[in-house]
This record gives sequence, C-alpha cells and structure tokens, in this order.
Amino acid sequence: MQIDILAQPANTITKITFAQNEEITAEGGSMVAMSGGLDVQTTTHKRGKRGIGRAVKRAFAGENIFLNHYKAERDGAHLYIAPNLSGDIMTHELQGGSLIVQATSFLAHEASVDMDVSWQGFKNMLSSEGLFWLKMSGTGKVLINSFGAIYPVAVDGEYIVDTGHIVAFDEGLNFSLSKAGKSWMSSILGGEGIVCRFKGKGTVWCQSHSPSGFGNALGRLLDPIVEHQQ
Amino acid sequence: MSDTNQTSPSVKPLTHVIEGRPDFAYLKVQLPAQETLRVEASAMQAMDKHVTMRTRLKGGFKRLISGENLFLNEFTAQGKEGELILGSSLPGDIKRLYLTQNGPALFLQSGSFLAASTGIETQTKFQGLIKGFFSGAGLFLIKCVGEGDIFFNSYGGIIEIQVENEFIIDNNHIVAFTEGLEYSVEKFGGYKSFFFSGEGLVARFHGNGRIWIQTRAMPPFFAWLNPFRRVVQKKRN
Amino acid sequence: MKHVVHGAPSFAHIEITLNAGDTLIAESGAMASMDASLDQKAKMNGGFFGALIRKFFGRESFFISHFTNMSGRDAKIIITQKAPGDIRAIKLTGGGFYIQPGAFVACETGVKLDVKWAGFSSWVAGEGLLRNYVHGHGAVFIGGYGAIYDKEIDGEYIIDSSHIIGYSRDIKLNVGMSGGIFSSFLSGEGLVARVEGKGKVFLQSRSVRNLANFINPRL
Repeated sequence: MQIDILAQPANTITKITFAQNEEITAEGGSMVAMSGGLDVQTTTHKRGKRGIGRAVKRAFAGENIFLNHYKAERDGAHLYIAPNLSGDIMTHELQGGSLIVQATSFLAHEASVDMDVSWQGFKNMLSSEGLFWLKMSGTGKVLINSFGAIYPVAVDGEYIVDTGHIVAFDEGLNFSLSKAGKSWMSSILGGEGIVCRFKGKGTVWCQSHSPSGFGNALGRLLDPIVEHQQ
Repeated sequence: MSDTNQTSPSVKPLTHVIEGRPDFAYLKVQLPAQETLRVEASAMQAMDKHVTMRTRLKGGFKRLISGENLFLNEFTAQGKEGELILGSSLPGDIKRLYLTQNGPALFLQSGSFLAASTGIETQTKFQGLIKGFFSGAGLFLIKCVGEGDIFFNSYGGIIEIQVENEFIIDNNHIVAFTEGLEYSVEKFGGYKSFFFSGEGLVARFHGNGRIWIQTRAMPPFFAWLNPFRRVVQKKRN
Repeated sequence: MKHVVHGAPSFAHIEITLNAGDTLIAESGAMASMDASLDQKAKMNGGFFGALIRKFFGRESFFISHFTNMSGRDAKIIITQKAPGDIRAIKLTGGGFYIQPGAFVACETGVKLDVKWAGFSSWVAGEGLLRNYVHGHGAVFIGGYGAIYDKEIDGEYIIDSSHIIGYSRDIKLNVGMSGGIFSSFLSGEGLVARVEGKGKVFLQSRSVRNLANFINPRL
C-alpha cells in the first residue's frame, strides 16, 4: 500500500494506491475520488450507552460514525480520501502500543489496526468541546487529520493543552482536566476554560487551531436555525 | 486550451500573478487600458481608483428567482492600465487556463468561477446538460468557450487528474473538466451507502481528458457548522 | 522573550519562549498549549470602563489573558488565532499603527492598545465608532484569515473593507458604498474603503464575514 499526502498543509488529501487484496477502513463521508477496481462495504459502529446530549451531537456533526471498507480487486487501484475541515493529515505507524485519537481527527486505518469507540478515559466531560475519543491499537498505519498544523510535543514532566487543540496522545500518559490559571474565574474569563494537563512521559500531538474556536467565530455570523414551537 | 500562452494575434493573455497558494490564493491582474474583466460577485479585494465596476445579472431576473444566478461584475481600467486584486470567499486555490477557439471547451462548477476575459463566453444552457448534477446547493455547470483567460477557484486544494479510462468522483469535489469526457451521475455504492456512507452523488467519467478536483466539499462543511449557529424559537401560526 | 512563527502562511501559530519573570499579553482564548510552569490570569482589557468601551464600540474582547513565567527557567507557550491564516510579528520602536478588530493576537508588555475616535461614517459603515491603535516598544502579533499581504499607498486606492487588518498612522480610510444602492447590493461588493495618504495597508486574502455571506444563502 502506498500512501501519498498531497495538497498540504491546509487542504490536505491522501492518495492511497493498493496492491491486489489490500484493504483500508476509512471514515464515512471521506471519499473524494477513486479509480475502478475497488470494492466498498459500509458498516456502522456502535457507540456505547452514553446519553446523546447537544454537546455530544456537536462531536458528531460532520463526523459520520459510519465506516467504509475498501478492498482492492486489482493492483494499482487507488483512492483519494480527505477530511471535512481544512487541515493537515499525518500517518502514524502503530507498533503494538495504543494511541488515543480525538474522534473528529480519525481518517482511516489499515485492517491490522483495532479501533475501540467506547474508550471512557475522560469521564465527566466538563469541556464544552463535547469530544469523543477513539483508542487505536495493534500494528499498522493510522491516518489522522487535524484542524491546522500538527505539532508533536514530547512530554517529560507536565504539559498543558487546551482541549480543542488535542489531536492524539500516547495511552501511557497521565492526564487530568483542569483550569489554565490559578483560579477558575481567570481560566473561563480568559477564554481558556478547561485545559488538559498531561503528566509523565509520552507524546501528545496538538493542532494549531481549534475547530470550535473557528466554528463559533463563523457560526455567530450565520443565519440562525429556526425552530418552530408546537 | 493551454496553461501557457499559445495565442492568436487578436487576443492577448492577461498579465497576472497568483499568490497565497495553495490555501488562500488571491489573483493580481494588470488590466490593460479600456480592457474589461468579468468577475464573480464579491471577489474584489482591492483595486486602483481608476478601475470602474458595473454589475450584470446573467440570465435576467427569472434566473434570480429560480436560484440559478451568476452575478458578474465587469471591471474596466479607464484611461490607463489598472491593478485588480481578486479572491473567493472560500479557502482554496486558483487555477488559470487559456482557452482557444479550436481547443476543447471547459465545463466549470458555477461556484468556482472567478474571472474571465471578454473573449470567453459562459453558457448556462447547453446540449447534454444534466439537471441536478450537484444535488441542489445552488450549484450548476457552466460551459466556457471562446478565446481568452479563465480563472477558477476551488474549495481546498486543486488536483489535476489525467483521465485515461474510468474515474469516479464525489460530485461535491468536482471543479472543472474538459469537453470530450463522457460522464454519468449515480449514487455511490447503492441505496444503503447513500444514507450510511455519507457519499451522495458521484460522477463516473469515461474517456480521455482532464478533471480538476477540489480537496474539500461544501455540504459537509455546512453541516459541521450547524451546532455553532444560534437557535431561534418561532411560534407556529 | 523570543518568538518563532510556525505553520505560516496557512496555519500560523507562534512559539514564544518566556524568560523567568516575563509576561505575554494575548487575546482571549489564544493559548493552544503551554508549559505547566506558566500562569494564566484574565485581565480586563484596559480596566473596567476601557474594557466596556472596547467590547461595545471597538469590538475587541472584554478580557485578555496575561501569561507569566513564575519559574526560574525558560517556559514555552504556543499562541494561535481563531481563524486559519497568517500571523505577522511587528517590532514597534515607539511608533504605532491602527489594527482592525479581531486582528490582535498577542503582544509584549511594552506595547499598548488604545482606542481612538473613528468618526461617524465609520460607525455607519459597520466599522465601529472607535478604532484600535497599537503603539509602544516591543513585538505585537497581528493575524488575519488567509494570507496577509501589504500594499504601499501613495495617493489613493480602493480596498474592500473586510480585507483590511491594519494600516499606518498617516493613512485615512473613507468607507462608503461601492456603487449606487442597487449595484452595491447586487454586486456583492457592499462597502469599500477609499484609502488615501502615504503609508502601508495590511490586507488579508479572506474574511470571516465574506465566508458567512457566501454560506448563508446556501444553508
């Protein structure tokens, strides 16, 4: 399988060229174009028994929990996939460990990688991000997208990341949700709100821009949604 | 058609430069004196003060109501050469082609039209037109013929594909394609996939020609924005 | 304090290294990630009344954040803006320039953000009654949606007002309609600024307002 990352850095697209019988699983809604010679199957993925509140729906907006499984019927069959938002794409090679990935950052994974959608690490999500997380384990490639540029931070001690800026992190890191400054007032008024404190040794991948930051700035200027009362 | 300047002596290609590529491209054109450029509405960012603007509504008012309209502004440099800086409202790239009378025509997605010199004719009704090519969203196909510069923009990056046999594209990612390619519109992967996989209509292209695709699509972006919009309660009468 | 701009021009973000005791002033919500040794404090943008004026007339945020390095070693912070685009670092040495609302990203403590009267025509144009003047000593970071390009003005020039992010002190902006009422509405151009004087104007190649105008009829 050959993975080419094109049109970087903001409107990045991936071109995957297959050898016969190779497979890949990609997020539903990500197919841009493909050659002939690919078989496509669609499956849904059950999420755990969480209450679907508005915050959670936000995580799903534009993010389909449906997956497309592509299998090449011949050598050279190729596929172009891309995420919905502007941003970059990176390939992460899993070698036995686990990576926790923010759900809207998941793009695709090789068949040899396992995806767990019911990871409950961030219990009692206070963050307005309403984020969902996926746990990717096994060996093989995972394609991850970001809103903005992706920058890795090798944590050795303690590091703070605004929750809207987390793309993925090594499962081995300790983390806790907390405030950015000494007081809650300061954090919220300063616009930082809830941040994630990572402790220990491992890598956290951050994105330079926050989808909800841009979404709110733009959404404020859009026509409102009219809900009719019964 | 060509990307470079192979011209007939009567039409001169425009002096221009495209900057801000590939993500937030903008076009700087030096308009010769008394020359007119047709530009998509709201694309003007800056210009010399002696460049004048006139608004034309292509297709007349009937078209305005049906939702299929192409507002064009005509910019003319009065008296001397004038600078005009243009860009679309969407993040993305700009591509320029020079069309010739005996070259293939260009089919262009209406939302991607940025600017064209007066030698180019933009047709909204033509033979073989497929209605509902873009499943609504106020977009339609334009056929560009004639001789001169045509500038188009994309939502996202532009990738040029040389089609040799068969190629399938999600319709929301089509920017432009050359005349001569055969195409049919169908649902992706069958009925179940239409609802579950997120892909709607795709175009299956056959033959030889060039297709320009954009790496992002508008409908999923608009859907992503919904939770960020204010909600207003209205009483039913 | 040292700074490096990464990810330009599409997703510019600034990596700032604060020495012990340094403070950085940043727009509300601008922190992407930072060393745990940095302390964040929300401050009212110009005192209570200053902040109120800025919020309602100048359209800046009510609060800004002060990040201070309380430790004895260097600490890093990554500062970003809400929209994707470029960020310019401008070193002020006593002078200043006008910046549009939303263009301010961050600055060193020697830089001051003042509000000045913009005139009624500016208010009618939707540009606000006041405009923001940034001046002093130190680095100020301004950001835009899209690429940032500048234009040297000597005389007159016409710019779509949503694309202006900053301009030098001796430049005058006359905001008005692009054509008659009918053509302004249909042309999509709306309001334009007739810029005159001698100096520099900073432009952004996109605007969030234009993007919203593009999207609204298609929702």
